[in-house]
Amino acid sequence: MSRAGFHERRRTERMRDPEFRVEYERARSEIEQIDSVVRSLDQLRESTGTSKTDLARRIGRNPSSIRRLFTAASNPELRLVVQIANDLDADIIVAPRSKKRDRRLQSDERASATAA
Amino acid sequence: MAWRIEYYEQHDGSVPAAKFLDGCPAKIDAQFNAVLDAVAAAPPPQFSGGGKWEAMHGSMGGYYEIRLTGPGREQFRLFCLLENAAPAELRRRGLKAPSIVVINGMRKPHRTTFTDRDYRKHVRTLGEDHLANFPRRLAR
Repeated sequence: MSRAGFHERRRTERMRDPEFRVEYERARSEIEQIDSVVRSLDQLRESTGTSKTDLARRIGRNPSSIRRLFTAASNPELRLVVQIANDLDADIIVAPRSKKRDRRLQSDERASATAA
Repeated sequence: MAWRIEYYEQHDGSVPAAKFLDGCPAKIDAQFNAVLDAVAAAPPPQFSGGGKWEAMHGSMGGYYEIRLTGPGREQFRLFCLLENAAPAELRRRGLKAPSIVVINGMRKPHRTTFTDRDYRKHVRTLGEDHLANFPRRLAR
């Protein structure tokens, strides 16, 4: 098994700070959701055989903005994400989390606030 | 395959990016770590980093930055290079796998800009030193 690198050791050390840990987990969840939306759209685009250039033309956008969106070279604009979903005949859906998960997150936040 | 995250180390053993992160608010440090881990887990060219990971242009072409906003809308930036090559070349560079190399960070008040001199002094000079070393000098 390889020895943990500098980054992993530093992160492990920083996770002992409840403020750091709660924010790290919140940020990872947020990033995961944004990445998932964009990657799902890209997979849908590929599965329908739509090129990035064709997609850009159909929604009246510059092809470079579509390339940048799917390669993480820029911050995704919600309007562009929705335009692409519409063009690919898909919806962006916000699904409520389970109450159990919500309660756990709120409990973590309260614990962090108390520790701070 | 997930990439590694490495930190550039200067000839005197100091690690500019770690020093920068140590000086950031805990929440900003946590967010930088979260973006780095997300990008390393799903590396380029696929979309990753929640929109906070961006390619830079112009004189900073070849660099990537993580862009965060902190308390009082203070702006925090972390600058990275990507190292990916054939296995033999990675070995020559002293890298165990394709890697995100964290070079340094900078912060600035809202609605101000970094000058090209800032970028040269605090990022490109360090990045050029990093790329000139075989094997790379990395924090251990």
